Amino acid sequence: MLEAVDEGLLILGESGRQAIYFHLQNLYSLKKEDIPNNLKVFADGLRKIFGQGAEVIEKRTIKTLYNKLGINYEEKRKLDFLDYVENAKKNVAAL
Amino acid sequence: MLTIYKISLILIAGLALIYTFQGYYPDFMSFFSNAFPPVIAGAAVVSSGFSLQKYWHKAREHFSLVWICFTIGLFLWFVGEAIWMGYTLIWNIETPYPSIADIFWLMGYIPFFIALYLYVKIFSAALTKKVLLVSAITTIILSFIVSATLIAPVLGSEKDLITMVVDFIYPFFDLALFSVAILGLLIFLKGKLGKSWMLINAGILMDICGHLLFGYTTAQETYYAGHLLELLYHYGYIFFLLAFYAHTKEL
Repeated sequence: MLEAVDEGLLILGESGRQAIYFHLQNLYSLKKEDIPNNLKVFADGLRKIFGQGAEVIEKRTIKTLYNKLGINYEEKRKLDFLDYVENAKKNVAAL
Repeated sequence: MLTIYKISLILIAGLALIYTFQGYYPDFMSFFSNAFPPVIAGAAVVSSGFSLQKYWHKAREHFSLVWICFTIGLFLWFVGEAIWMGYTLIWNIETPYPSIADIFWLMGYIPFFIALYLYVKIFSAALTKKVLLVSAITTIILSFIVSATLIAPVLGSEKDLITMVVDFIYPFFDLALFSVAILGLLIFLKGKLGKSWMLINAGILMDICGHLLFGYTTAQETYYAGHLLELLYHYGYIFFLLAFYAHTKEL
Protein backbone atom coordinates (compact mmCIF):
# COMPACT_ATOMS: atom_id res chain seq x y z
CA MET A 1 0.00 0.00 0.00
CA LEU A 2 2.78 2.38 0.95
CA GLU A 3 4.45 1.84 -2.43
CA ALA A 4 1.16 2.67 -4.18
CA VAL A 5 0.74 5.82 -2.08
CA ASP A 6 4.32 6.78 -2.81
CA GLU A 7 3.73 6.42 -6.54
CA GLY A 8 0.34 8.14 -6.39
CA LEU A 9 1.83 11.20 -4.77
CA LEU A 10 4.55 11.34 -7.40
CA ILE A 11 1.98 13.06 -9.63
CA LEU A 12 3.41 16.35 -8.31
CA GLY A 13 7.01 15.27 -8.74
CA GLU A 14 9.51 14.41 -6.04
CA SER A 15 9.44 17.83 -4.37
CA GLY A 16 5.62 17.90 -4.39
CA ARG A 17 5.50 14.41 -2.89
CA GLN A 18 7.83 15.42 -0.06
CA ALA A 19 5.71 18.54 0.52
CA ILE A 20 2.55 16.42 0.85
CA TYR A 21 4.22 14.01 3.31
CA PHE A 22 5.47 16.99 5.29
CA HIS A 23 2.00 18.53 5.50
CA LEU A 24 0.30 15.26 6.39
CA GLN A 25 2.72 14.83 9.25
CA ASN A 26 2.52 18.45 10.32
CA LEU A 27 -1.23 18.95 10.12
CA TYR A 28 -2.58 15.48 10.83
CA SER A 29 0.36 13.89 12.70
CA LEU A 30 0.38 11.24 9.99
CA LYS A 31 3.81 9.83 9.28
CA LYS A 32 4.53 8.28 5.90
CA GLU A 33 4.94 4.78 7.32
CA ASP A 34 1.62 5.06 9.22
CA ILE A 35 -0.46 5.85 6.12
CA PRO A 36 -1.45 2.22 5.29
CA ASN A 37 -3.01 1.92 8.77
CA ASN A 38 -4.69 5.33 8.64
CA LEU A 39 -6.09 5.51 5.15
CA LYS A 40 -9.12 7.58 6.18
CA VAL A 41 -6.88 10.24 7.71
CA PHE A 42 -4.74 10.13 4.57
CA ALA A 43 -7.76 10.53 2.26
CA ASP A 44 -9.21 13.32 4.42
CA GLY A 45 -5.84 15.06 4.46
CA LEU A 46 -5.61 14.96 0.68
CA ARG A 47 -9.16 16.37 0.40
CA LYS A 48 -8.28 19.19 2.77
CA ILE A 49 -5.23 20.12 0.72
CA PHE A 50 -6.41 19.52 -2.85
CA GLY A 51 -10.21 19.66 -2.68
CA GLN A 52 -11.66 17.89 -5.71
CA GLY A 53 -8.12 17.46 -7.06
CA ALA A 54 -7.52 14.79 -4.40
CA GLU A 55 -9.56 12.37 -6.54
CA VAL A 56 -6.79 12.36 -9.15
CA ILE A 57 -4.14 11.39 -6.59
CA GLU A 58 -6.44 8.77 -5.05
CA LYS A 59 -7.24 7.23 -8.43
CA ARG A 60 -3.56 7.07 -9.36
CA THR A 61 -2.79 5.42 -6.01
CA ILE A 62 -5.58 2.85 -6.45
CA LYS A 63 -4.53 2.03 -10.01
CA THR A 64 -0.95 1.48 -8.84
CA LEU A 65 -2.15 -0.68 -5.93
CA TYR A 66 -4.36 -2.83 -8.17
CA ASN A 67 -1.57 -3.14 -10.69
CA LYS A 68 0.90 -4.27 -8.02
CA LEU A 69 -1.60 -6.81 -6.67
CA GLY A 70 -2.49 -8.06 -10.15
CA ILE A 71 -6.14 -7.04 -9.76
CA ASN A 72 -8.15 -5.68 -12.66
CA TYR A 73 -9.09 -2.03 -12.03
CA GLU A 74 -12.61 -1.01 -12.97
CA GLU A 75 -13.86 2.48 -12.34
CA LYS A 76 -17.13 2.60 -10.44
CA ARG A 77 -18.85 5.87 -9.67
CA LYS A 78 -20.17 5.00 -6.24
CA LEU A 79 -16.85 3.75 -4.85
CA ASP A 80 -14.50 6.03 -2.99
CA PHE A 81 -10.82 5.57 -2.16
CA LEU A 82 -11.45 3.47 0.95
CA ASP A 83 -13.98 1.25 -0.88
CA TYR A 84 -11.42 0.48 -3.57
CA VAL A 85 -8.86 -0.46 -0.91
CA GLU A 86 -11.42 -2.70 0.81
CA ASN A 87 -12.16 -4.36 -2.54
CA ALA A 88 -8.47 -4.95 -3.06
CA LYS A 89 -8.20 -6.58 0.39
CA LYS A 90 -11.16 -8.86 -0.40
CA ASN A 91 -9.66 -9.80 -3.75
CA VAL A 92 -6.30 -10.64 -2.17
CA ALA A 93 -8.01 -12.67 0.61
CA ALA A 94 -10.00 -14.64 -1.98
CA LEU A 95 -6.84 -15.68 -3.85
CA MET B 1 1.45 33.56 8.22
CA LEU B 2 -1.06 36.28 9.01
CA THR B 3 1.66 38.89 8.93
CA ILE B 4 2.16 38.94 5.16
CA TYR B 5 -1.61 39.10 4.62
CA LYS B 6 -1.86 42.01 7.06
CA ILE B 7 1.05 43.79 5.37
CA SER B 8 -0.63 43.28 2.00
CA LEU B 9 -3.92 44.62 3.31
CA ILE B 10 -2.16 47.71 4.66
CA LEU B 11 -0.35 48.07 1.31
CA ILE B 12 -3.62 47.79 -0.61
CA ALA B 13 -5.28 50.42 1.58
CA GLY B 14 -2.18 52.62 1.55
CA LEU B 15 -1.97 52.55 -2.25
CA ALA B 16 -5.64 53.51 -2.49
CA LEU B 17 -5.00 56.48 -0.18
CA ILE B 18 -1.88 57.56 -2.13
CA TYR B 19 -3.84 57.52 -5.39
CA THR B 20 -6.93 59.17 -3.91
CA PHE B 21 -5.09 62.18 -2.51
CA GLN B 22 -2.61 62.59 -5.37
CA GLY B 23 -3.82 66.14 -6.03
CA TYR B 24 -1.76 67.28 -3.04
CA TYR B 25 1.54 65.89 -4.38
CA PRO B 26 1.45 65.72 -8.21
CA ASP B 27 5.23 65.59 -8.66
CA PHE B 28 5.65 62.73 -6.22
CA MET B 29 2.68 60.95 -7.80
CA SER B 30 4.21 61.17 -11.26
CA PHE B 31 7.38 59.58 -9.88
CA PHE B 32 5.57 57.00 -7.75
CA SER B 33 3.27 55.91 -10.56
CA ASN B 34 6.27 54.93 -12.69
CA ALA B 35 8.71 53.77 -10.01
CA PHE B 36 6.44 51.57 -7.90
CA PRO B 37 5.44 48.94 -10.54
CA PRO B 38 8.95 47.44 -10.91
CA VAL B 39 9.15 47.22 -7.12
CA ILE B 40 5.90 45.33 -6.65
CA ALA B 41 6.49 43.22 -9.79
CA GLY B 42 9.97 42.40 -8.44
CA ALA B 43 8.43 41.34 -5.12
CA ALA B 44 6.09 39.00 -7.03
CA VAL B 45 9.10 37.51 -8.87
CA VAL B 46 10.83 36.91 -5.52
CA SER B 47 7.71 35.22 -4.12
CA SER B 48 7.49 33.01 -7.20
CA GLY B 49 11.24 32.34 -6.93
CA PHE B 50 10.77 31.02 -3.38
CA SER B 51 8.07 28.66 -4.67
CA LEU B 52 10.40 27.54 -7.45
CA GLN B 53 13.11 26.87 -4.89
CA LYS B 54 10.69 24.76 -2.85
CA TYR B 55 9.16 22.74 -5.69
CA TRP B 56 12.08 22.45 -8.09
CA HIS B 57 13.42 18.94 -8.51
CA LYS B 58 14.33 18.40 -12.15
CA ALA B 59 13.34 19.93 -15.48
CA ARG B 60 11.59 16.75 -16.66
CA GLU B 61 9.01 16.96 -13.90
CA HIS B 62 5.81 18.81 -14.82
CA PHE B 63 5.48 20.33 -11.38
CA SER B 64 9.01 21.76 -11.51
CA LEU B 65 8.27 23.19 -14.95
CA VAL B 66 5.12 24.83 -13.60
CA TRP B 67 7.13 26.90 -11.16
CA ILE B 68 9.92 27.80 -13.52
CA CYS B 69 7.30 29.01 -16.02
CA PHE B 70 5.49 31.10 -13.39
CA THR B 71 8.80 32.68 -12.38
CA ILE B 72 9.90 33.38 -15.97
CA GLY B 73 6.49 34.89 -16.79
CA LEU B 74 6.57 37.20 -13.80
CA PHE B 75 10.22 38.07 -14.49
CA LEU B 76 9.34 39.14 -18.04
CA TRP B 77 6.53 41.33 -16.64
CA PHE B 78 9.02 42.80 -14.19
CA VAL B 79 11.38 43.61 -17.09
CA GLY B 80 8.45 45.26 -18.89
CA GLU B 81 7.75 47.40 -15.81
CA ALA B 82 11.43 48.33 -15.49
CA ILE B 83 11.61 49.37 -19.17
CA TRP B 84 8.43 51.46 -18.78
CA MET B 85 10.06 53.16 -15.76
CA GLY B 86 13.18 53.82 -17.85
CA TYR B 87 11.12 55.41 -20.63
CA THR B 88 9.13 57.63 -18.28
CA LEU B 89 11.65 58.62 -15.62
CA ILE B 90 14.91 58.63 -17.64
CA TRP B 91 13.83 59.51 -21.19
CA ASN B 92 10.80 61.55 -20.07
CA ILE B 93 8.37 59.89 -22.45
CA GLU B 94 5.00 60.44 -20.79
CA THR B 95 3.12 57.35 -22.04
CA PRO B 96 5.47 54.94 -23.87
CA TYR B 97 2.72 52.85 -25.39
CA PRO B 98 3.22 50.68 -27.34
CA SER B 99 6.94 50.23 -26.74
CA ILE B 100 9.61 47.59 -26.13
CA ALA B 101 8.11 47.19 -22.66
CA ASP B 102 5.01 45.70 -24.30
CA ILE B 103 7.13 43.04 -26.01
CA PHE B 104 8.28 41.80 -22.60
CA TRP B 105 4.82 42.04 -21.08
CA LEU B 106 3.29 40.10 -23.96
CA MET B 107 6.10 37.51 -23.92
CA GLY B 108 5.45 37.01 -20.21
CA TYR B 109 1.98 35.66 -20.96
CA ILE B 110 3.41 32.60 -22.74
CA PRO B 111 5.26 31.00 -19.79
CA PHE B 112 2.49 32.12 -17.42
CA PHE B 113 -0.11 30.38 -19.58
CA ILE B 114 2.07 27.25 -19.86
CA ALA B 115 2.46 27.19 -16.06
CA LEU B 116 -1.30 27.37 -15.50
CA TYR B 117 -1.96 24.82 -18.24
CA LEU B 118 0.60 22.30 -16.94
CA TYR B 119 -0.69 22.61 -13.38
CA VAL B 120 -4.33 22.14 -14.35
CA LYS B 121 -3.39 19.34 -16.77
CA ILE B 122 -1.98 17.29 -13.88
CA PHE B 123 -5.42 17.38 -12.26
CA SER B 124 -7.49 17.42 -15.45
CA ALA B 125 -9.12 14.10 -14.54
CA ALA B 126 -10.95 15.95 -11.74
CA LEU B 127 -12.63 18.24 -14.26
CA THR B 128 -16.30 17.41 -14.59
CA LYS B 129 -18.57 18.56 -17.39
CA LYS B 130 -20.18 20.97 -14.95
CA VAL B 131 -16.82 22.56 -14.10
CA LEU B 132 -15.92 22.89 -17.77
CA LEU B 133 -19.30 24.46 -18.49
CA VAL B 134 -18.99 27.00 -15.66
CA SER B 135 -15.49 27.89 -16.86
CA ALA B 136 -16.58 28.24 -20.50
CA ILE B 137 -19.62 30.37 -19.66
CA THR B 138 -17.61 32.68 -17.37
CA THR B 139 -14.90 33.14 -20.01
CA ILE B 140 -17.45 33.81 -22.77
CA ILE B 141 -19.27 36.40 -20.64
CA LEU B 142 -15.99 38.15 -19.81
CA SER B 143 -14.93 38.07 -23.49
CA PHE B 144 -18.22 39.69 -24.43
CA ILE B 145 -17.78 42.41 -21.78
CA VAL B 146 -14.20 43.10 -22.94
CA SER B 147 -15.21 43.29 -26.60
CA ALA B 148 -18.26 45.45 -25.90
CA THR B 149 -16.24 47.87 -23.78
CA LEU B 150 -13.25 48.21 -26.10
CA ILE B 151 -14.49 47.96 -29.68
CA ALA B 152 -16.26 51.33 -30.05
CA PRO B 153 -13.78 53.59 -28.22
CA VAL B 154 -10.64 51.96 -29.65
CA LEU B 155 -11.84 51.71 -33.23
CA GLY B 156 -13.28 55.23 -33.01
CA SER B 157 -10.00 56.67 -31.75
CA GLU B 158 -7.16 58.03 -33.83
CA LYS B 159 -4.78 55.31 -32.71
CA ASP B 160 -2.59 53.56 -35.28
CA LEU B 161 -3.25 49.93 -36.16
CA ILE B 162 -0.47 48.49 -33.97
CA THR B 163 -1.73 50.35 -30.91
CA MET B 164 -5.28 49.18 -31.59
CA VAL B 165 -4.11 45.57 -31.91
CA VAL B 166 -2.10 45.82 -28.68
CA ASP B 167 -5.16 47.34 -26.94
CA PHE B 168 -7.10 44.19 -27.74
CA ILE B 169 -4.27 41.70 -27.24
CA TYR B 170 -3.78 42.46 -23.53
CA PRO B 171 -7.31 41.79 -22.26
CA PHE B 172 -7.65 38.75 -24.51
CA PHE B 173 -4.33 37.32 -23.33
CA ASP B 174 -5.60 37.94 -19.79
CA LEU B 175 -8.77 36.06 -20.70
CA ALA B 176 -6.69 33.15 -22.01
CA LEU B 177 -4.98 32.99 -18.60
CA PHE B 178 -8.33 33.29 -16.86
CA SER B 179 -9.89 30.46 -18.88
CA VAL B 180 -7.31 28.06 -17.43
CA ALA B 181 -6.96 29.63 -13.98
CA ILE B 182 -10.71 29.34 -13.33
CA LEU B 183 -10.41 25.59 -13.92
CA GLY B 184 -7.69 25.43 -11.27
CA LEU B 185 -9.86 27.39 -8.88
CA LEU B 186 -12.83 25.08 -9.41
CA ILE B 187 -10.66 21.98 -8.90
CA PHE B 188 -9.00 23.18 -5.70
CA LEU B 189 -11.74 25.44 -4.32
CA LYS B 190 -12.63 23.19 -1.38
CA GLY B 191 -9.02 22.51 -0.45
CA LYS B 192 -6.30 24.60 1.15
CA LEU B 193 -4.80 25.23 -2.30
CA GLY B 194 -8.07 26.94 -3.23
CA LYS B 195 -6.79 30.08 -1.48
CA SER B 196 -3.78 30.24 -3.77
CA TRP B 197 -5.92 29.71 -6.88
CA MET B 198 -8.41 32.31 -5.72
CA LEU B 199 -5.58 34.82 -5.46
CA ILE B 200 -4.23 33.86 -8.92
CA ASN B 201 -7.71 34.39 -10.37
CA ALA B 202 -8.07 37.69 -8.51
CA GLY B 203 -4.70 38.82 -9.92
CA ILE B 204 -5.75 37.95 -13.46
CA LEU B 205 -9.12 39.68 -13.02
CA MET B 206 -7.31 42.82 -11.83
CA ASP B 207 -5.19 42.70 -14.99
CA ILE B 208 -8.25 42.21 -17.21
CA CYS B 209 -9.93 45.27 -15.68
CA GLY B 210 -6.66 47.24 -15.74
CA HIS B 211 -5.95 46.53 -19.40
CA LEU B 212 -9.56 47.18 -20.34
CA LEU B 213 -9.50 50.58 -18.65
CA PHE B 214 -6.03 51.38 -20.02
CA GLY B 215 -7.17 50.67 -23.58
CA TYR B 216 -10.30 52.72 -22.99
CA THR B 217 -8.60 55.72 -21.36
CA THR B 218 -5.75 55.89 -23.87
CA ALA B 219 -8.37 55.79 -26.65
CA GLN B 220 -10.18 58.69 -24.94
CA GLU B 221 -6.82 60.37 -24.29
CA THR B 222 -7.67 60.62 -20.60
CA TYR B 223 -4.89 58.39 -19.27
CA TYR B 224 -2.17 60.06 -17.20
CA ALA B 225 0.61 58.83 -14.89
CA GLY B 226 -1.10 58.25 -11.57
CA HIS B 227 -4.50 57.32 -13.02
CA LEU B 228 -6.60 55.31 -10.57
CA LEU B 229 -6.63 52.35 -12.96
CA GLU B 230 -2.97 51.74 -12.08
CA LEU B 231 -4.18 50.49 -8.71
CA LEU B 232 -5.58 47.45 -10.50
CA TYR B 233 -2.14 46.54 -11.88
CA HIS B 234 -0.55 47.02 -8.45
CA TYR B 235 -3.22 44.91 -6.78
CA GLY B 236 -2.72 42.26 -9.47
CA TYR B 237 0.95 41.90 -8.55
CA ILE B 238 0.09 41.85 -4.84
CA PHE B 239 -2.40 39.04 -5.45
CA PHE B 240 0.15 37.05 -7.47
CA LEU B 241 2.73 37.56 -4.73
CA LEU B 242 0.23 36.32 -2.13
CA ALA B 243 -0.90 33.42 -4.33
CA PHE B 244 2.60 31.98 -4.52
CA TYR B 245 3.21 32.64 -0.84
CA ALA B 246 -0.07 30.89 0.05
CA HIS B 247 0.86 27.96 -2.16
CA THR B 248 4.17 27.35 -0.44
CA LYS B 249 2.44 27.61 2.95
CA GLU B 250 -0.43 25.25 2.11
CA LEU B 251 1.64 22.62 0.32
